[in-house]
Amino acid sequence: MTSYSLFLGCIVPNRYPGIESATKMVFNKLGVNLKDMLGASCCPAPGVVGSFSEQTWLTVAARNLAIAEENRADVVTLCNGCFGTLFEANNTLKNEEETRKTVNALLSKTGRIYRGNVEVHHFAKLIYEGHLDQVKRLSQSLTGLKIAVHYGCHLLRPGTLKKIDNPEKPVFVDELVRNLGAESVDYKDKHMCCGAGGGVRSSNLELALDMTKEKLENVKASQADCILNVCAFCHLQFDRGQRELAEKKGLEYNIPVVHLTQLLGLAFGLNPRLLGLQAHAISTQPFLRKITKVSVQ
Amino acid sequence: MKDEPLKEPVRIGVFICHCGSNIAGTVNVEALAEFSGKLPGVEFSTHYVYLCSDPGQGLIKDNVKQRGLNRVVVAACSPRMHEETFRRTVKESGLNPYLLEVANIREQCSWVHMNQKEAATEKAKALVAAAVMKSLHNEPLEPLTIEVEKSVLVVGGGVAGIQASLDLADQGFKVYLVEKQPSLGGHMAQLDKTFPTLDCSSCILTPKMVEASRHENIELLVYSEVKSVGGNVGGFEVTVLRKPRFVREELCRACGLCAEKCPVRVPNEFDMGLGERKAIYIPFPQAVPLKYTIDPEHCLYHQKGVCRVCEKFCPEKAVDFDQKPVEVKLKVGAIVIATGYEPYDCSQKYEYGYGRYKNVITNLEFERMVSASGPTYGQILRPSDRKPPRRVAFLQCVGSRDVNSNKYCSRICCMASVKQAHQVKEKDPSSDVVIFYTDLRCFGKGYEEFLERVQGEGVKVVRGRVAEVLEDVSGNLRLRYENTYLGEVFEEEFDLVVLAAGLIPSDVEELRTILKLSTTPDGFLAEAHPKLRPVETFTDGIYVCGTAQGPKDIPDTVAQASAAASRASALLSKGVVTVEPITAEVDEDRCGGCGLCVQACFFNAIELEVREGMKRSKVNQVLCKGCGVCGATCPSGAIKMRHFTDEQLKSEVEAILSTVRR
Repeated sequence: MTSYSLFLGCIVPNRYPGIESATKMVFNKLGVNLKDMLGASCCPAPGVVGSFSEQTWLTVAARNLAIAEENRADVVTLCNGCFGTLFEANNTLKNEEETRKTVNALLSKTGRIYRGNVEVHHFAKLIYEGHLDQVKRLSQSLTGLKIAVHYGCHLLRPGTLKKIDNPEKPVFVDELVRNLGAESVDYKDKHMCCGAGGGVRSSNLELALDMTKEKLENVKASQADCILNVCAFCHLQFDRGQRELAEKKGLEYNIPVVHLTQLLGLAFGLNPRLLGLQAHAISTQPFLRKITKVSVQ
Repeated sequence: MKDEPLKEPVRIGVFICHCGSNIAGTVNVEALAEFSGKLPGVEFSTHYVYLCSDPGQGLIKDNVKQRGLNRVVVAACSPRMHEETFRRTVKESGLNPYLLEVANIREQCSWVHMNQKEAATEKAKALVAAAVMKSLHNEPLEPLTIEVEKSVLVVGGGVAGIQASLDLADQGFKVYLVEKQPSLGGHMAQLDKTFPTLDCSSCILTPKMVEASRHENIELLVYSEVKSVGGNVGGFEVTVLRKPRFVREELCRACGLCAEKCPVRVPNEFDMGLGERKAIYIPFPQAVPLKYTIDPEHCLYHQKGVCRVCEKFCPEKAVDFDQKPVEVKLKVGAIVIATGYEPYDCSQKYEYGYGRYKNVITNLEFERMVSASGPTYGQILRPSDRKPPRRVAFLQCVGSRDVNSNKYCSRICCMASVKQAHQVKEKDPSSDVVIFYTDLRCFGKGYEEFLERVQGEGVKVVRGRVAEVLEDVSGNLRLRYENTYLGEVFEEEFDLVVLAAGLIPSDVEELRTILKLSTTPDGFLAEAHPKLRPVETFTDGIYVCGTAQGPKDIPDTVAQASAAASRASALLSKGVVTVEPITAEVDEDRCGGCGLCVQACFFNAIELEVREGMKRSKVNQVLCKGCGVCGATCPSGAIKMRHFTDEQLKSEVEAILSTVRR
C-alpha cells in the first residue's frame, strides 16, 4: 500500500474540515494510505510570508518537509498555495546546497533537519496520473452535471519548474471531470486567478473581491452547476467571497463551490454530510439535488 | 608528408611581446626574458613592445638569420589571434612555419590576473617554459595542396540562393542550384510589397528567377533535395535526389488545361492555405520553371488508382505517372547553403488563439491576402465573414524576444507590420490600425522615415505585449494589454488580429548532419566568426548566407549572398587549396581495426580500409581538422596527432609542473 504524508495546511482544518474528511475517505477507497503530519504548521503561504522573508519562508517549509521525511512518505497537498510553497521550497533546498545548510542551521533549533529526500505532490495530479482507472471503476456516472473547472495559479506556475500539463491551457482536471461522466463547461477567462492568492486577499480585499466577482460573472454565464476547484484557498475565496460580495455589494450569485475531493466523494457514493457539503457559506443543495435524491438536512 | 626531425642541434629564440601595456602592465617582461634565456636549448631571448607590428616581425627575422636560430617561441596573445602572422614571419626567415610555438601570456595570463602581478609573472614563466620544451620536440610539417573543382552547389532557391548563384555564374563558374519546392522564389515570392520602398516583391524577384533559369552556367535542380555529401573542400561529391513531378518538364508548356480538368481541390501552401490549388498545379503564376507538378498525396490516381484525367487532356502528352525519382551525382569545389527560414508556429502561443480563432492570422497570411495574385485578389477580408475589417491589430514579437519561445529578435517583423498597417490604411483610410510592440526596431536605411510616414497616416503604435486575445460569438476579438507607457491595463475590440510571427531556421537537420555543420544556440547555422568570417562555416569550402544564418531582411540577405559568392569564388579562382598538416596519422603496425576512431571522428575523416585481409584505419588528411578526438579514443595508441604528439604534450606538462614547483 502506497503511503503519503497528508499536508493539511491552514484552511482545510480551520475552515473546511469537510475537505479533510473527504480526502481521507476518497484516498482510502483508492487504496492509498495517508499519514498525518504531526506538528505540521502553515506551509507557509507563498504570497504573504514569501514576500516578506524568503529565509523564514524556506525554513518553515523545510520544517514541514522534515516532518514528512520522518514519516518516510512523500507529501500530498490539498491546496495550490501549499503545493506552490512546498514544491518550490523543496526544489530550492534540494538543488542549492548552501541554502540548505543555512536553513538547516536555523532548523536545528527545533531539533529537526531536512535532508532532501521528499517529493511534493498535488492531490489532483496524483489521482489523475496514478488512479484514473480506479476512479472510473468506483464512480457512479455524474451525467448531466455542468461543471466549471478552476485550476488556480500556483498549481501550474511557474511552468518551467512545475512541468504540469500546459500552463496556458491545462486539461487534466477537465479530463478527470469528463471521466466521471460530467461535462466540463468552457467559460470566459477560465484560467484567471480567483483573486485571493499572492497576499491579495490579506492586503486588499476590495481588489481580491473584484477579481472574484469577474470570475463568478463568467461562471454564471456558462450556466454551470458548480465551481470545481483543486485548492482550499480558491475554495474559500469563491465560497466566502460570494457571501462577502452579497454583504458589501448586494450581489447574489449562489453558485455552489466544490473541492475536487468532495466531488470524487460524491461520485463514489459517499454521504454528502461526511464530505462537509452542508458547511459551506453558499448552499450546495441545488447541486446535490441535481446529483442525487439525498439531501443534506 | 615529410616528418624528418632536424639534424642540427636545437637553437631556440624566445620573443616576448609587451602588447603595449596589455601584457607588460601585468607581467614583468624583463624578468620573463631573463628566465627564458636560461631554459634548455634557448640561444636568445628578448622582449619587444609590439611583436606583431612590422618592426616586431623584423626583430624576429633578423635574429633568426643573424644567430642561426632554428626554432622560434613567441610569448604573446592567443594563437587564435596571431599564430598565422608569426608562422609567416618564421617562414620568411627561412624556417619551416611549424617550428613556431606560441605561448599565450595575454588572454590566459595577463588579462585574467590583472591584479596579481607577481603570480602572473610566475605563470607566464611556466607557459614560456612549456612552449620551449614543446619546441624542442617540434618537427617541420608540409601543408597539403589540393586541386579545386571549378563548380559550386547552391542549396536553396530563395532570393539568397538565386543571388549567390548569379554572382558565381557571372564569374564563369558552373553552378548547381538545388531547390526543394517545385519553383524558385522562396518566401520572397510570397510577399506583396517590400518595405520601405513598397516595391512589388514579385516584380523585383521574378526577373532574377528567370535570369537564373536561363543562365548558361546555372543548372537548376528544382523539386530536388541533397541526399549525401562526401569528399572535402575542392572536391565535394554530392548526390541530389530529383523528386518525380509526374510531368515531363521538357514537354510541359504550362497551358493549364490539366489543372482546369483536375477534380481535386486542396489548400495551396503557397497561399498559406488561404487559397486552393488542384492536385496538379503550379504554385503561383510566375513560377520558375513554369512546369506543372502532380502532388501524389492528393492525386486520385496515386491514392486510389483512378482518374488520370490530366493525362487525357494534356495536348503535349507531358503527364507521366511512371516517372521515378532520379539520383544526380555532382562534383563541386564549394557549397553555399541558403536554406532560409520558416515562420514560427503561432499556435504554440495558445493565448493568442491562432488556429482557434478564425480572425487571427499571421503576417505571411496577410501578405498573401493583400497580394493582387493572392486568394482574395488583394482585398483585405477577414476569414470569418469575408468582410473588410474596420479595426486591425498587429501583435509584434510572436515567437521572438520571448523566454518561452525564442530569445532572439527576428528583425523583419516590425517593418513587415508597419508596411502592412500602411496597406490597411491605403485601402480604408478611416480604419483603426494599432501596432502593439515591445520596441519598434526600424534600423535599416529608410526604415525610420517609413515608420514616421505610416504614423502620419494615422496608424497608432502602443508599447506593450498583448497578454491575451479573446473571441466573441461574432468572431470579433478582444485584446487585453498593458500600455507600458501609461502603466494601465486595457481591453479593446478588433475585427482582425495579425500576428508578427518570428523567423525560425528551416528544418535542415538532415542536411546539417550530412555536412557536419554546427548551429548557434538559436538554432541557425553557425558562421565561422560573427564579425570577420560571417559567411564561412567551420567546414572549409562550405558557406552560408541569408536567413539560414540568422533572421534578416531582404537587403541584408542579398548582400550576404553576394558575400558568400565572393568567398566561394576566392577559393575557386585560386584553383588550389592548402590544408594544415596538423592532422592525425595512423601507425599501421599498432592499429587493430576496431573502428572506435571512425565513430569518434566528427568530421567523417577516418574510414576503415581492408588491406591484406586486415582492417586498418585511414585518415583523410584533407577532412581531418586535427582536433585529436580519435587519438584520445584509440585504445592501442596507434594514432599520432601531428604537432600535438604525446611526447610534445608530456614535455609541456612536465615543464609547467617543474616551473611551478620551483
